[in-house]
Amino acid sequence: MSEEVQRYGGGGGGVGALSLDLLGQVLDRVREPRDRKACRLVSRAFARAEAAHRRALRVLRREPLPRLLRTFPALERLDLSACASLDDASLAAALAGADLAGIRRVCLARANGVGWRGLDALVAACPKLEAVDLSHCVGAGDREVAAVAAATGLRELSLEKCLGVTDMGLAKVVVGCPKLEKLSLKWCREISDIGIDLLSKKCPELRSLDISYLKVGNESLRSISSLEKLEELAMVCCSCIDDDGLELLSKGSNSLQSVDVSRSDHVTSQGLASLIDGHNFLQKLNAADCLHEMGQRFLTNLAKLKETLTVLRLDGLEVSASVLQAIGEGCNNLVEISLSKCNGVTDEGISSLVARCSHLRVIDLTCCHLLTDNALDSIAENCKMVECLRLESCSSISEKGLEQIAICCPNLKEIDLTDCRVNDAALQHLAKCSELLILKLGLCSSVSDKGLAFISSNCGKLIELDLYRCTSVTNDALAALANGCKKIKMLNLCYCNKITDSGLGHLGSLEELTNLELRCLVRITGIGISSVAIGCKNLIELDLKRCYSIDDAGLWALARYALNLRQLTISYCQVTGLGLCHLLSSLRCLQDVKMVHLSWVSIEGFEMALRAACGRLKKLKMLSGLKSVLSPELLQLLQAFGCRIRWVNKPLVYKD
Amino acid sequence: MDRDQMNPIRDQPPNLRSMNPLCYQFMAEDALLGMGMQQQQLPSASIRHMDWSPDTMLGNLTFIEEKIRQVKDVIHAMAGRSSATQGELAAQQQQQLVNADLTCLIVQLISTAGSLLPSLKNSSFLSGAPPAAGTGQAVSLAGESSSSVRNGVSKEGDMGSPDYEELFKGWTNGAMEECIGGGGVIAGEEQDAMLDAFGVDGETPLPPPPESYQVLQLEEDEILAPHTHFCSICGKGFKRDANLRMHMRGHGDEYKSAAALAKPPPSADAGEEQERRYSCPFAGCKRNRLHKSFLPLKTILCVKNHYKRSHCEKRHTCGRCGAKKFSVMADLKTHEKHCGRNRWLCSCGTSFSRKDKLFAHVALFQGHTPALPPPPTSTATQAADDPATTARASAPSSGHQQEPAGAASFMWGTSSCHGDDAFLDVKDIGGGDGDGFFSAANLGSIDFGFGHLDAFAVDHSLAMLLPSEQFTNAQESEER
Repeated sequence: MSEEVQRYGGGGGGVGALSLDLLGQVLDRVREPRDRKACRLVSRAFARAEAAHRRALRVLRREPLPRLLRTFPALERLDLSACASLDDASLAAALAGADLAGIRRVCLARANGVGWRGLDALVAACPKLEAVDLSHCVGAGDREVAAVAAATGLRELSLEKCLGVTDMGLAKVVVGCPKLEKLSLKWCREISDIGIDLLSKKCPELRSLDISYLKVGNESLRSISSLEKLEELAMVCCSCIDDDGLELLSKGSNSLQSVDVSRSDHVTSQGLASLIDGHNFLQKLNAADCLHEMGQRFLTNLAKLKETLTVLRLDGLEVSASVLQAIGEGCNNLVEISLSKCNGVTDEGISSLVARCSHLRVIDLTCCHLLTDNALDSIAENCKMVECLRLESCSSISEKGLEQIAICCPNLKEIDLTDCRVNDAALQHLAKCSELLILKLGLCSSVSDKGLAFISSNCGKLIELDLYRCTSVTNDALAALANGCKKIKMLNLCYCNKITDSGLGHLGSLEELTNLELRCLVRITGIGISSVAIGCKNLIELDLKRCYSIDDAGLWALARYALNLRQLTISYCQVTGLGLCHLLSSLRCLQDVKMVHLSWVSIEGFEMALRAACGRLKKLKMLSGLKSVLSPELLQLLQAFGCRIRWVNKPLVYKD
Repeated sequence: MDRDQMNPIRDQPPNLRSMNPLCYQFMAEDALLGMGMQQQQLPSASIRHMDWSPDTMLGNLTFIEEKIRQVKDVIHAMAGRSSATQGELAAQQQQQLVNADLTCLIVQLISTAGSLLPSLKNSSFLSGAPPAAGTGQAVSLAGESSSSVRNGVSKEGDMGSPDYEELFKGWTNGAMEECIGGGGVIAGEEQDAMLDAFGVDGETPLPPPPESYQVLQLEEDEILAPHTHFCSICGKGFKRDANLRMHMRGHGDEYKSAAALAKPPPSADAGEEQERRYSCPFAGCKRNRLHKSFLPLKTILCVKNHYKRSHCEKRHTCGRCGAKKFSVMADLKTHEKHCGRNRWLCSCGTSFSRKDKLFAHVALFQGHTPALPPPPTSTATQAADDPATTARASAPSSGHQQEPAGAASFMWGTSSCHGDDAFLDVKDIGGGDGDGFFSAANLGSIDFGFGHLDAFAVDHSLAMLLPSEQFTNAQESEER
């Protein structure tokens, strides 16, 4: 795709003859942001077309925000979740000069610095606002939510983990936004039955509601049952809800399609059975970690959902082969099943389950220790469509079973073999799955360069590779990966302690890399980090914990080149205050720094470094000893900017 | 409370009625009762007056003589002192002292004279004599010796003891009403019946009230009188009979006997008596007996509260919210318990003490939303919400921003300190004046705190005054 566009765009004049509309259409079909950027850079016509047509924008830094908002007048979706050091004043200033009449969706997730003034300005500037995401703005309270409530056309709102929101704020929203269709109140622990009751009275259009982790009880479910259009209801870990509540819920209109009661301790299969009685068109049922045994009535009721049920999660349940057989016979249309940590899952059970469920695409068998290659054989035989297979800790499986999977399931996109003791031969088989995107091989110490060479040679689409504690892996494997899997975004090399700077040098050619974990690679130094920083321009998260050989040179390189770095762990590294200062003052996207036991950094070093970055940091992890020696003004300032500091207290122990 | 309030009515009137069984004297008597006319006699006298006899009369007259002599002495003393050269302030204080003494004496005089009333009942004193005449009579009774007494009395009026005048007013009003009722020699029920029969304002006569109870009507002054029991020696007023008896102990050992301290026994015929109901004196009120669909009030307390709530100015303002006003102090206190806790506000201005009530309200009315409390003070929000603009520079500025809150709390501290100072000042004044009398300035502030305070109570209400003084001072300093 990239080359094609470059060929057209490279001509310049030819492209310029096309209308902006057409060019916009072309750009709409270019999926990769990097390719779009290439188009923009090589042709003014494309740049103009993009300016006129661009619908979505994700801003990484605060400074260019005003200019960007002016440049793209047709924006519909604005993502400010990664925008470092965004605050009320800068947001209001950016909004003031721009025409944002078209904006419908705004994401402000984790934008801790934005308060009600900024939201006021935002809502006033965007009259067509339909969706706002305030998730993880832990400082947001009723006032912020009230500012959002001024957007009368709002259809979607996520208040996940807005810890300060109470019933009052919720009432503001439900009265102000009667058209609300999707609302997430996850982790808003202050909200009570009263608020939910008002919600169900005032927002009849609601289709999706998330009340996970709330302290609400059965009364809320009674209110919710009056919502006639509700399709999706999540109540994860609502410990005050029990079977009676589900019974009340089943009295409502028969509209629910998805119910999540995972980790709700007081729900039993009886309650779920009565819920199914009232809602016959359930498509997704998540009962993970809440059931202890399978009731007969629940099983028979599951069979009533034969036509519709596609997703079933029963994690942590005690199941027998007969139960699995009953599920398989009852729910033929299952697409996804999760039996992770279920006791009693055997090869027979799995084969009787998959015998009837040929549509399965996602199968989660994490920690089903009894499974052997026979189970994999029956899956391979029956579920040709399978895309995702999670087999973590199924230690009895071997390359033979995986061979069957690789042969029969060409669509496999994700496989988790963590702690499965697979070897290079298994990887050789898996390499046949050329669609593979995610491969997890953590703790498979027998996986070596040879096996990874097979993967690199055929799985060019791989985007995530986990080699946690694959101690046999050396630089050669990285060289092969860098050649074959150019798309890798997430790479975990923790404790692969044979890796040295030259290995990191190969990683430098992975331009897509965003997350890199190098924990405890004791041999790598600043030189290796430099090559990563220079090569991996998109690096967002970097873990260098216990990389004892890394010194200021590494930090200088990061400060200079890793401009998009957002999360950084440099605990136990031998860096000095100077390097830290330079790093924190240079990286404008850095928001989350873990720096425990930086024994070479003086108190002044910490003080200076934090002062340099205090407007941007959102999360810090430091030794609790520093709490008393850092200046109180600094800590207050950090707090005022919405930064959360996690103080840890653990002894300094060097380990390899 | 209720029972205590009832006591003077239940227990005392029969005693008085025993003096004159023919006449239902409730209004007149209660006027006296309200003004301290009922127990004013020395206990010996009041015991003797139970059995009405010339001896009692003589004893009372002796008492009057003695009191007149005392008044004379006081006036003499005053004359002697005024001749001596004294500071103006001291002279003023002296005058007030004398005035208070005089007031006390005169009240005792009048009260003793009141015990002679039964014999005077049909004389010109009560049968429609103009109020001025009544006053004159009383004054002449009190101060036949010299004109300076009259001056003293008139000054008394100037000094703002309205109760003193009300005493006479109530007295005569009661008498007047009685005359309208039926020449003053008519029993309560008959009087009611007559009034009904007259059909005041030409209305159709009311249906006679049920025979089960008799209807009494208190006058406005009686209802509003702060005290119903008065010490016959010093004139201090009390709300409860029991409190008066406790107070009397301080006047001598004879009041400490079990008999004197015991609760007066309910009259023997209390059980046989008809139940009493009360009528509100406000014409046109549904609780007024002339109203078409009259609803009687059950107790004196009901009367008081009803009259204050319905027909009086709401003088007690809530200090916290400043919005709610009450005419009954108890209502204010009840309100103050909850005031400020009505934190559940609706956008329409209605406030609720409970969140679920607010939410039910919001659910009911379209467009109503809960109102959030106002944003924290601008400086604090600047620091918290708008750090970029203000706190951009450096830490010292943030430290500076913290200051206003601290400063505010410091201000608060000083203001409370000031209150304490004021309190101490008051104490000093009170102690410095030695005799427990107050300067004019203090009196002024007392008036500020209490509206109207009867002169009888001045010297005894020290305990009440101090808090009020502190209160007013604190208010002023807050205003500052």
